[in-house]
Amino acid sequence: MNSPVVTESGGEGRIFATTRWSLILTSTDLEDDDQKARQALSELCRLYWRPIFSFVCRRGHSTQDAQDLTQDFFVMILEGKWLERADPNRGRFRSLLLKSLGNFLNDAAIKRQARKRGGEVQFVAWDEWMAEAPSQLTVSRQALESWPAEHLFDLRWAATVVEQALRRLREECESQGRLRAFEVLRACLGAEREDVSYPELAQTLGVTDTTVKRLVHRLRQRYRSLLRDEITDTVADPAEVDDEIRHLCGILATNNNETP
Amino acid sequence: MKGFSPGLSDSIASGIANPPQCRDCGSSSRVGGGLCVRCLLQAGLEPDDECAPELLMSAFAEITLADKNWRLGNYEILGEIGRGGMGVIYRARQRHSRRIVAVKRVLGYHADSHETLARFRREAQAAASLDHPNILPIYEVSESEEGLPFFSMKFAPGGSLQEASSALRDEPRQCVALVAKVARAVHHAHGQGILHRDLKPGNILLDGRGEPLVSDFGLAKWLDTTSDLTRTLTIFGTPGYIAPEQSTGLAEQLSPAADVYSLGAILFDLVAGRPPFLGSHALSVIRQASESPAPKLRSLSRLADRDLETICARCLEREPSARYASARDLAEDLERWLEGRPIVARPVSPAVRAWRWSVRNPKLAVSFAACILLGTVALLRHNQNRELAARVREQALAHHSVGVLPFLDLDAVGPDKAATTSLGGGLVAMLEKMGPARVLLLQGIPATYAGGGSPADLREAGQHAKTRTILTGTTRKTPSGKRIAIRLMDASTGDALFSQSFEEESILRGNSDELVSVAGSIYSLLNAQELKSVSETARDPGLVNEQTRDLIVAGRDLSFRYKVDDYDRAIICFEKAIALEPASPIAHAYLSAALSSRCHFENSPGYLERAEREAEEALRLRPNLPEAHRALAGINQGRNRRLALEEHFQSIEYGGLEYRGASAIGGVFQNLGRPDLALRWFDLARHWEVRRGETDSRIGDCWADLGDDTRAEQAYLRAADLHPEMPYGWLGICRLRLLNRQFDEARKVWAKHCEPLGSFGEVKQMQAQIEFFARNFGPAAELYSHLSKVDPSGGAQFYSGISYESALDRLNWKAEGDTLPASLSERIARRRGSVQTAPDEPDILYQLAVDESLAGQTEPALGHLRSAMNAGWLEYQATLLDPRFDKIANDSHFKEILNTVRDRISSMRAAVLSQNHEQEIADNSER
Repeated sequence: MNSPVVTESGGEGRIFATTRWSLILTSTDLEDDDQKARQALSELCRLYWRPIFSFVCRRGHSTQDAQDLTQDFFVMILEGKWLERADPNRGRFRSLLLKSLGNFLNDAAIKRQARKRGGEVQFVAWDEWMAEAPSQLTVSRQALESWPAEHLFDLRWAATVVEQALRRLREECESQGRLRAFEVLRACLGAEREDVSYPELAQTLGVTDTTVKRLVHRLRQRYRSLLRDEITDTVADPAEVDDEIRHLCGILATNNNETP
Repeated sequence: MKGFSPGLSDSIASGIANPPQCRDCGSSSRVGGGLCVRCLLQAGLEPDDECAPELLMSAFAEITLADKNWRLGNYEILGEIGRGGMGVIYRARQRHSRRIVAVKRVLGYHADSHETLARFRREAQAAASLDHPNILPIYEVSESEEGLPFFSMKFAPGGSLQEASSALRDEPRQCVALVAKVARAVHHAHGQGILHRDLKPGNILLDGRGEPLVSDFGLAKWLDTTSDLTRTLTIFGTPGYIAPEQSTGLAEQLSPAADVYSLGAILFDLVAGRPPFLGSHALSVIRQASESPAPKLRSLSRLADRDLETICARCLEREPSARYASARDLAEDLERWLEGRPIVARPVSPAVRAWRWSVRNPKLAVSFAACILLGTVALLRHNQNRELAARVREQALAHHSVGVLPFLDLDAVGPDKAATTSLGGGLVAMLEKMGPARVLLLQGIPATYAGGGSPADLREAGQHAKTRTILTGTTRKTPSGKRIAIRLMDASTGDALFSQSFEEESILRGNSDELVSVAGSIYSLLNAQELKSVSETARDPGLVNEQTRDLIVAGRDLSFRYKVDDYDRAIICFEKAIALEPASPIAHAYLSAALSSRCHFENSPGYLERAEREAEEALRLRPNLPEAHRALAGINQGRNRRLALEEHFQSIEYGGLEYRGASAIGGVFQNLGRPDLALRWFDLARHWEVRRGETDSRIGDCWADLGDDTRAEQAYLRAADLHPEMPYGWLGICRLRLLNRQFDEARKVWAKHCEPLGSFGEVKQMQAQIEFFARNFGPAAELYSHLSKVDPSGGAQFYSGISYESALDRLNWKAEGDTLPASLSERIARRRGSVQTAPDEPDILYQLAVDESLAGQTEPALGHLRSAMNAGWLEYQATLLDPRFDKIANDSHFKEILNTVRDRISSMRAAVLSQNHEQEIADNSER
């Protein structure tokens, strides 16, 4: 297998870019490759810890135990030869992770007695991760209490993807000194179409209606790019992005009082 | 599985009961800002083209709504976390480490003096030094570019207990575990001598794991926006959680028990769902808390058991000594409860409860002593941890601490030892009867500290004595006896807290009514949590309003420069400030001072009247305002010196000494022919010189007046060295040569040292004077004509009082028998009129004598000369040389008058020198 060319993940030149996940999948044992792969993996873990943690909690563990287990899971993934034990079919990061997590917890149940709780040894910096990327997901209490763990995992995954895209968009705007404009226009991104009042926005921003419409259009386009970037990073093949999105949308369609 | 516990789990998702459904897709999952997750995902499927960042940015380019880079010190502000009575808390990123932190700002109201900022820093740093796993770490205490202080601390992602409280309602064990941890943290801080004083759910933050982190130890006052603190009701803390004794405004003996109360209230709130006392407004809550017993926990929560109820009840006892003695005791009992072991606290029987309450009957509390005594004894008796009690008592003593500086005798310009001892001693005894108080008579400090000195002196004295306030005052003789003024100041800012004067000596007696009343006022001032709240200066509306404060500070700065334009600008600043805050006494007083100072540059009659009106207005708004008295002194400096002196003294009595006042008084005494006293005042002034060397030339003048040329020359040389850009040192030396008839020397000195500074008018005047006294009339006439063209009525303010008019009159004599110029006769008439209204002003008398001499009116001239000399005109050497007196110089009385003055000066000089000698001996022996 040829080592793929590595460039900055996402962004332009998609043709040449390697998604993080594909980078991980295709890494060889060469030191350089391996290191980059680990780097990519740890970045992915850092982004997606919440779905993992929620799964573990939903499986009935106390918060304290869930922390320990999540941490152990990360250790296993990042330091061990996780991929070699994984499903040869590869597939998407999300589904692979979920499967591994399930297996891990089953194993852990057996091994828990023997494991020593080290206490202070923490490489998972929860507070920092939470500070860097705060999340404000609200769902119906019923869903939270009644959905199975896998379902919650996917729900949380979907929210993470979306929040991450928004965050990157925000950072792009901030780096150009346009944070305030972003905050004003943010609501246009996902809100019900009818709610967007272009005249009001135009007034707040001090521009014409036409300009605002154009801006909102561009903003949505840019958001779309970033969203697809995020998802691409977790699939092996860019062609799978649409499918992944549809899967996650499917999860979210069933809500409120229904149990899937 | 039951509902999630607060903390990490909450970061997964928050579940809400009936969330609204998205109108487009029906999903009810949302992220920040109410955006629908599903719609946001679906947007990824839309057939829109994608977009590179540049395209977006170019679209943005059309908007001008750019961000300002919001920075505070080393932190980039990312957004607000919260806002409320506590000020604003931001989420920020530390520039170098890129770490996310929380940043809290001190509100602008407090940040108006270096001393306040320094104190904030000290207190924040004390809080920052607390190192405990359940205390929110403070990382850095710093100031923004504008000088606004702030501090950064760990960002607690779990929010505060306030938000999490609903999730905890059904988990009493978790609540107890949490409060136990908080109690241990609070106890740790108590061990460092820091009370929190404002514990409440909003101050207990949660980290990602749901661990509690207590924040804002002892800093409540800096972050509280309730700035309207009256003297009687200084409430800190949030009603509902603060201990009743903290809010009654009486002599607080605040102890760790106050924090224990708050902990109990928090536990109560978490378990029962509401704080122990509720009310529509703060006062009603507080009143209930001090009058009624707390409700029983079990009446509000079915999940609490009897033991938990007992623990809460013990925390919420109104009598501090009945509560847990320390936060650690509370933590231990809570831990016992969690472990299922028996707790230590016992429910109190109704009889005992009643007895306890009667002991704390509010009516008793009117007598400070009784209340404190009971509190102290009870606390000590119940307090197992004596060290803790000692530390807290130490805090109380420090809170009520007064350092007494020697009183200043304004007549002798030195410390008044007798008054200091009797008054200081009397106050010590009185204050210590009223409660814990530490009053120290400061010994062994330089005489210049007497009467208060500069704010820097006060700070130093306060630090040296470790007292919060400084007490001092002045004494002087008046026609009716002795006048004594007392002042109490905040040691760290120099602000006056209390000032009062007494016309009789009764205040000096140990048990007099006046002494008791003064001690009482002082003690109640010391009770204030924050001295700022009782400082008159701090409450001047002109200083409270930030905008006018800036104007006033700017105006004040401009008022001490050298150009007329600066004074005009200063006047504009003050006028603007008054337009915004017409009730600001200080703005009016400063405006008055600026107006009258401007008159020294250009004679602008309207200004003096206006200055007077402004000063009167300032006094109307605040009687005894020292700055107003100082302004009045300045106004009268030229026309009624004795009144100027009186106003100066009053300004000192009410506001203490400072450089310009002391220096101005020196000037007045110089004019009144008392260089001996002037020297003492200049010596004091020199102690606080803003720029070294300002006073030396004037000291030189005093020695010259006293006839000690050596010392005069030393002083002039010092002035010249330290201020080469000013001519006054060399002018003084010129004059010394001149008066010794060393005309060529004088010319040399002038040419070498004075001429280069020719832009000063005095330099040209000296040149003319040299030629005049050397009887080089041709050049003299030319010089005086030139001077006269620039300023026809000038010249009289300089050495020897040679007005250009009178010089020219002398120089234009053609021969005997000339008729007098009309202008001369007119001047004489005018001056006679002035003398009628101000019979004691030496310079007016002298000028009249000059003019009469020019007119050949020998008798009147001699008479007025004698009066002038008696009133204080001392320049007899100059008079001998002065050609204007030629017509009367041969009269024997002329020489007699001058000899009398010479003798008087001799004895004055001898007295000064021997007194200096004695003083040196005394100083040496005291060291």
